[in-house]
Amino acid sequence: MAGIKKIIHIDMDAFFAAIEQRDFPEYRDKPLIVGGNPCSRGVVATCNYEARQYGIHSAMSCAKALQLCPHALFVKPRFEAYRSVSNTIRTIFAEFTPIFEPLSLDEAYLDVTDSADYQGSATRIALAIKTRIQEETGLTASAGISYNKFLAKIASDINKPDGLFVITPDQGLAFVEQLPIGKFHGIGKATEKKMHQLGVYSGNDLRKLSLTHLQQHFGKAGVYYYHIARAIDDRPVKWDRITKSVGVEITLPEDIDDGDEILTQLTALLEKAQTKLTDKNLQASTLTLKVKYFDFKQITRSRTFQEAISEKMDSTALFKDLLKSTDVGTKKVRLLGVTLSSLNDLEPESVAKQIDLFSPDN
Amino acid sequence: MKFIINREQLLIPLQQIVSVIEKRQTMPILSNVHMKLTADNLELIGTDLEIQIMANIKFDYSTEPGEITIPARKLLDICRLLPSQAEIKFELTNEKMKVLSGRSRFSLSTLPAENYPEFSETPLENQFYINAGLLKVALEKTVFCMANQDVRYYLNGLMLNISNSKLRMVASDGHRLSVYENELQSPTGYEARIIIPRKGVMELLRLLDDPETDLSVQFSSNNIKVVIKNIIFSAKLVDARYPDFNKVFLQDFRNPIYVQRQILKDALTRVAILSNEKFKGISIEISPNSLKISAHNPEHEEAEEELFIEYQDELTISFNAQYLLDAVSNMDSELAVISIASNLSSCIFEEPVAQPYRYIVMPMRL
Repeated sequence: MAGIKKIIHIDMDAFFAAIEQRDFPEYRDKPLIVGGNPCSRGVVATCNYEARQYGIHSAMSCAKALQLCPHALFVKPRFEAYRSVSNTIRTIFAEFTPIFEPLSLDEAYLDVTDSADYQGSATRIALAIKTRIQEETGLTASAGISYNKFLAKIASDINKPDGLFVITPDQGLAFVEQLPIGKFHGIGKATEKKMHQLGVYSGNDLRKLSLTHLQQHFGKAGVYYYHIARAIDDRPVKWDRITKSVGVEITLPEDIDDGDEILTQLTALLEKAQTKLTDKNLQASTLTLKVKYFDFKQITRSRTFQEAISEKMDSTALFKDLLKSTDVGTKKVRLLGVTLSSLNDLEPESVAKQIDLFSPDN
Repeated sequence: MKFIINREQLLIPLQQIVSVIEKRQTMPILSNVHMKLTADNLELIGTDLEIQIMANIKFDYSTEPGEITIPARKLLDICRLLPSQAEIKFELTNEKMKVLSGRSRFSLSTLPAENYPEFSETPLENQFYINAGLLKVALEKTVFCMANQDVRYYLNGLMLNISNSKLRMVASDGHRLSVYENELQSPTGYEARIIIPRKGVMELLRLLDDPETDLSVQFSSNNIKVVIKNIIFSAKLVDARYPDFNKVFLQDFRNPIYVQRQILKDALTRVAILSNEKFKGISIEISPNSLKISAHNPEHEEAEEELFIEYQDELTISFNAQYLLDAVSNMDSELAVISIASNLSSCIFEEPVAQPYRYIVMPMRL
């Protein structure tokens, strides 16, 4: 199957609303709208599935939403919280593949073509990602699996929420043929209308139009439409090739508050992170310590140094110093992490060497 | 809470407090100044949890007591930009601090004082007295050698050592070291070593503008507190042992070289232009009656200067030009006395007449 890609599209279900309902139990089982004030000109950022039953959807004005469902709850977005969950999700993606492209806080494409996990089964990888997301964040996601970005994105929308749908290479074309034109990703309201004027209502209709014809009407986008009508989409998953940080963390088998044990764990984590960096021929000058307490409250403490972090650093003393301003020792800890960032290429041993007053070889 | 204050009474304490407040805060209340007003005293506090500055302003008329926190930087900007000698009226109403002066009116947000973090302090068992002028010189002659963001975090600070009546301060980034040693006015009867963190040292130095003031310094192994007239400076200390630095003085040194300080400084500055930008390496070649300074860079450009010295030995040694410049710039006499270790492993900078301070610069291998 050389040349055939395995792409997963992960889309969080009613992301903002789901986080609000997770954090505030009183919002559960009620139509919930995250967005602007219904008395002003605000719009719906996300609404939960209960609210969607009333015909409410994203980007609708809050005033209209209130009309459709007068007893809906309106809450202001807490982007800080959403970003934090989004970061967690991205860390999970990174566990499976370095090749992922976040589209927004709540969705991303992953290219698992070369992934050896789960015997290379993209479906099982997608399932594992969903499970990890559920475990880490308590939220559900929908996954779409296919051989290109376009189909993967359409697939994730099919069994939402908490869905998983696969479009295999031999189903691709048939799938696109029957798809209403408005459902095509990249075809919005305006283009849909234009398509209808051209007599295009489905993928099948779209396929009948020639490339020149499409280009005349839609310019550059016409080329894209021509290809997606044939279930062809060669856009690669754009991932960040440049490593910006290296992090390792450990969820402890049981919550601990023993300072020495925590120091031992941190030292081991730092060593692991350092090895990962050295393997990539990189060195770091910022160290960030992450602590998640038993109550899931999470804090980070970081320090930046002028030179690269190396073995000459007294890591125990440094960790002790960073832990001083935390509740470690009094509050039980469930997870510890160490991240190295501010990365530079590992420098070859320089010819000019400053002699150090405190170095043991003096 | 209500009081009237003259701009000049408030401005300087406020400036001193704001300088410890970090611009980026994890806790919003830390960007506020804590104001505590009693019948005849206004206490202002600012902290970053590592350092705290407290100022007391006395009133000779009665006020309406109260306690609140308000945005420090905004208040400072308001005070700074009001005309000199302006009377400023503060009035707390409905959780807003009204600041009124002449035709200007401001209403600042507040946060309750009970949420302001307590600056934890252990009992301060040690104490000594020192004149502000003397402490300022001692700090100025040492701080330039302090490390900044070094991985050996105990070097990012200043070591203070009290040995009965002797005061000693040491700073080092591992590449150079400064020591200041002087007698205190009276014996203390104890021996103690502490490390004051870099930011604390810099803030303290800023507070020592009046050389006539007598200061009281109190400390434990965790905290230090310096009372400077109506200002109280407190800092948490670096919890570590300062590395042993005495060995470096105990080596065998060659005969000292006497050099005109200004001439050396000028020559170094010029030669350094063509040194490697990153390492700033320069070579010093000494032959009878001559001291040659030279540098070259990756572009194969070269610089050389020759100074006349009365000296008979021959040697070649390399240094970071900036370290040499910092050392000679922090000396006062006309002549610099340079002693190089017999094995060329280090170099001492002193003055012809013994001074409380001296510097070590470690060489480079080029």
